[in-house]
Order: sequence, then structure tokens, then C-alpha cells
Amino acid sequence: MSTRWALALSVAAVALLASLPVWLESPYALHIFILIFIAVATGSSWNVIGGFAGQYSVGHAAYYGVGAYGAFILLQQKQLAPWFGVWIAVALSVAIALIIGSITFRLRGPYFVLASIAVAEIVRLTALNWKGLTNGAEGILANDLPALKLGSTLITDWNGKTPYYYMGLLMAVFCVLVNLAIKHSKLGYYLQAIREDQDAAHSLGIPLAFYKNAALAISAALTALAGSFAALYIGFIEPQGVFGIDVSIQLVLICIIGGVGTVLGPVVGAVVLVLLSEALRANLLAHGLFKLGLPETSGIGRFLGENLAHAHVLIYGLLVIVVILFMPDGILGFASARLRRRRAR
Amino acid sequence: MLVLLQSVLSGILIGGIYALMGIGLTLIFGVMRIINFAQGELAMVGMYLTFFLFKLAGVDPFVSVLLVMPALFLLGAVLQRTLIDRALDALPQNQILLTIGIGLVLSNLAMLLFTSDYRLLSTSYSSSSVPFAGVHLSTPLLYCFAITLAITAALYWFLRKTETGCAIRATAQDRDAAQLMGIDVRRMGLISFGLGAALAGAAGALISPTYYIYPQVGSAFTLKAFVVVVLGGMGSVVGATLGGVLIGTAESLSAAYLGSGTKELCVYVIFLLVLLFRPAGILGKSRT
Repeated sequence: MSTRWALALSVAAVALLASLPVWLESPYALHIFILIFIAVATGSSWNVIGGFAGQYSVGHAAYYGVGAYGAFILLQQKQLAPWFGVWIAVALSVAIALIIGSITFRLRGPYFVLASIAVAEIVRLTALNWKGLTNGAEGILANDLPALKLGSTLITDWNGKTPYYYMGLLMAVFCVLVNLAIKHSKLGYYLQAIREDQDAAHSLGIPLAFYKNAALAISAALTALAGSFAALYIGFIEPQGVFGIDVSIQLVLICIIGGVGTVLGPVVGAVVLVLLSEALRANLLAHGLFKLGLPETSGIGRFLGENLAHAHVLIYGLLVIVVILFMPDGILGFASARLRRRRAR
Repeated sequence: MLVLLQSVLSGILIGGIYALMGIGLTLIFGVMRIINFAQGELAMVGMYLTFFLFKLAGVDPFVSVLLVMPALFLLGAVLQRTLIDRALDALPQNQILLTIGIGLVLSNLAMLLFTSDYRLLSTSYSSSSVPFAGVHLSTPLLYCFAITLAITAALYWFLRKTETGCAIRATAQDRDAAQLMGIDVRRMGLISFGLGAALAGAAGALISPTYYIYPQVGSAFTLKAFVVVVLGGMGSVVGATLGGVLIGTAESLSAAYLGSGTKELCVYVIFLLVLLFRPAGILGKSRT
């Protein structure tokens, strides 16, 4: 596909998405789209450091959580509207990323992975124990958001899901565009060189520490942005929910499942994962089995009907196993290789 | 002074469990160069097995270790043959993600089967303690420590004295050379993954009388097993034992003197410091 076609297709897709709330009235459908936007944004942010630079951080919950808590605490205690507060939270998470980067980038491979987990756990435990600031394990409930005004014209008062939908769409498109820009820039080429062979890149004169830290800073900023948006949309945060290792793992999996190191990989991964895990959460699978003839009142039917919805993370585990073993380039890489093979025939 | 003695002693007792988790992890890493992120989830499976053996058949948790270990060996061997073995040539990051995936599947299957309720296995001796030099030591933890010592000693004997043990150590030292000497390295991988899983299961069974049992209990254990292994030096069994006892002691000392909230924090700070300043661990040889 030529670049011009790809551009036209993406513009059309975004335009279609932008027109969606006009004719789609179901709040549940909008909710699903918002979840996908959040997943696209977080997956794309991880892609900058994990995909392009090949540094598999499993501690991105630290930045996600700092974004979420930063925006919440500023709104709660300083009455600072999130659209200002978010940027302070983003700056804070970049600062933390630079500290973490300067410590952990001295390590390689599995040791880097372990260090990134340890740092995120330290941040989580700090948030859990610093009760004066974070309210500890009880978490924080969001205040009502103040109306967003430009001058004196009211833009939105955050009623319903539509404003969040547009904010989420904007954020997701922005994160994907950042990925696109990085991929075709000097920074992106340097990062990919580091990913392919760190020592060779170093011997060619690429300053490793500087470029790794730059990639981590960008990645952390985008993650914090997504984290604060997600938190404001959900309206409640607690340490395990935003700083927990599950959050870090989900970020990585979105990327791995879609296709790591590609611009569209996180988009594919986000759509697949959100749809599948929501299908489980909404018990579609159990209902599907009932339709296929599984008696709803039988022991196993009742069991599945009650419990399957709680295990929606199961799909993440199963998918990542399948992807790593059978499609190491992710769903996107697998599909495009298939397509190429068919064309060659 | 009594507080110090009390916390050092209970730290050493709980450290035995961490050591057991760590030895399993280090064995798998030594032979297959794979960091098993599902180690804690395997311990969780061991905990549930013990719980149901106690609940349904009245088997004492310390007896059920004998049943849980073979069961987990089997589970580990199956996981190794069907999944891990296929990823031996994958990128190390992808191997880590594969074991994370296995862990997610195990914990979510547990959630599906047993719900996310916290369960408590209470035996007649669960909350009793033995007086010792002016302090009190928890009875189940004492039993647990004694069995841990026995298992570790047996494992040490197995690795040092038996032919299979020597073959495992040879594979860990140099996979290619071992293969040239006629050792079936694939089989060694299978055995060590099974053993690693069995040790995780044993740790789960031993700690079940004194710990809450729930599907997500694994990740805390996995992280602690890493700390123990990195502290002792990746691949070193003696190092992992020492690391376990050190981490247990550090945990209970910080809980006693700095407040219980700092317990885990202290563990991760130590971990980070070791990773940064002595990544080969206390006893490990430096990385190549």
C-alpha cells in the first residue's frame, strides 16, 4: 500500500470515528471506544521505549499512576482544573522517568526488566504509605470536573460520555502520531539501532544513555497523560489499580499482541484486547455457550455464568502465550506476512 | 534486645520459605537461562492444593507437601514440554513475557474456579508458639523451617551425588559442552523445570497454614523470589538459600523498627541496590 493511500485511509478512519457520537447513541458503545482509546494511548506510549528502543520496561505503572494521582490530587487539594493539572503531572512523571532511567539503564536484558519492576513497586508502596497525600489504600474519589471554557464560551461541562470520547480520540491520535514521527526521525533510527545491537550502536558513536533516557521521557509523558485521562474518566483511583504490576503488564501486552515496534501494532492490540476482555466481562462468552445449547441451569452452566466475567484478564494470558509462540511479530506482523505470501503466489 | 532477637529469629524462619522459592527459580535459570515469572503462581497452585487436601480429606498441610511436590513436578514438566521448550530460542524478553502469560492464566484460572475470596487454612497449631530464650517462635513456621531444611539438603545431595544431578549441573555450566558429552539437555531442562515447580509448590504448601490463600497471592512471591535470587547470585543454590534468609531477616527487622508499612519497601530498595552495585550477587560469579 502506498503512503498516500495509507494517509487517506487513516484520515478517513479518524473522520469516521469523530462523527461516531453523532449517530451512535448507546453510552455502552461509546464506553468501549473510550477504553480502546486509552489502550491505544498507553500501548503507543510503551512502544516508544519498548518497541523502538527494545528496552522492555515492566514498570510503566509508575508513570501511569503518577499521571493519575497528580491530576487527582491537584484537582482535589488545589482545585486546579485537570487540563492544567495534567501537564504538571506529566512533567513530574518525566522527572521521575529521568531519575529511574539514570538508575536502571545501566542494566541490560532481564536485569533491566527486574529493576523496572522493583522501581515501580517502590513507587506503589510509597503511594500506599504516604497517606497524607494519597489517602492510602482507600484511594481517592474524583470531585466533579469544572466546566471547560475557552474565554467565555463554554466548550463542555463533562455531561455524559461524548466529551470524554472526543478527548480520548484526540489523545489516542496524538500518541499514534508521536510514534509515527519518532519512527521516521533521527531519534527513531538511533533507537532502532540500539534495539538491534546495543554495542554496535555504541561503537558507531550513538550516546546510549542520552537516547534511552530521551525515549523513556517521551514514553513516560504519554503514559502519564493516558493515566490521568483514564483516572478522570473512571472517577476513582487507588494504589493497586494504577500502580500495580498488572497495569505495567497490560501496557506491554497491548504492544506485544498487536505488533511491537510498529506504529499500528498498539492500535491493533488495543482493539483486540479491549473487545475480547469486555466480551468476557459482559459475559458474552457464557451467553454464547447458552445459545449453543449449554443448559443455563446445569451445574457447569451456572458456574460459567457466574464466574467467567471475573476472569477477563485470562484472555490476556492466553493471547500472549499464543502470540509469543506462534506469531512473534504480533497480530499485525503475522497478518502482513500472510498477505505478502499470498501476493507472492 | 528481645525485640531484636525475636525479629531476627522469625525473619530467618520466614526466610526459609523465600529460599525455597528462590532455589526453584535459580535452578530453572541455571539450566535453561529462562527467568520464570510464573514461579509465584506455581506456589499459589500448591497453596490451593494443600487447602483442598486439608478441607476435603483432612490431610495435614505438612504431610501434603509429599503429595503437592510430585503434582507440581508434573505440572511444571507439562508446562515445560508444551510451552517453554518451544521458546528456548526466542528473545529473553519474549521468554519473560511467555512466563508472565502462564502466570496470568494460572491466577485467572484459580479465580475462575475458586473465586477471589480469601481463604484461611487453620490447623490446631496455626496460632500456637514455642517459647525460646525469652521469645516466642510460631509453631507452624518452625515445622515449615525444618521441612525446608530437609528439602534443601535433599536437593543439594541430589545435585551433588547423583548422576542426573551432575548432568543438570553440567548443563547449567555449559549447555553445548554438556550436549557433546552425551547429556540429553532437553531432558535436563524438563527435570529442572519440574523440580523448580515442585519447590514452588512445596513453598506454597508449607506457608499455607500461616498465610491468606487467594488467586493473586503469586505475584508477591514471584517478586520476592527474584530478590532472593539476585541477592544470592543468579544460578547459585547456596546463594539463594542465603539470600532467602537475609531477605526474611531484613523484612522482619524493618517491620519491627521502621513500621510494618516499610517491610516490602525495604526489600525492593535492597534489591535495587544489589542490582546496581553487585549485579552478580553475593556469591555469584560475574556475568559474561
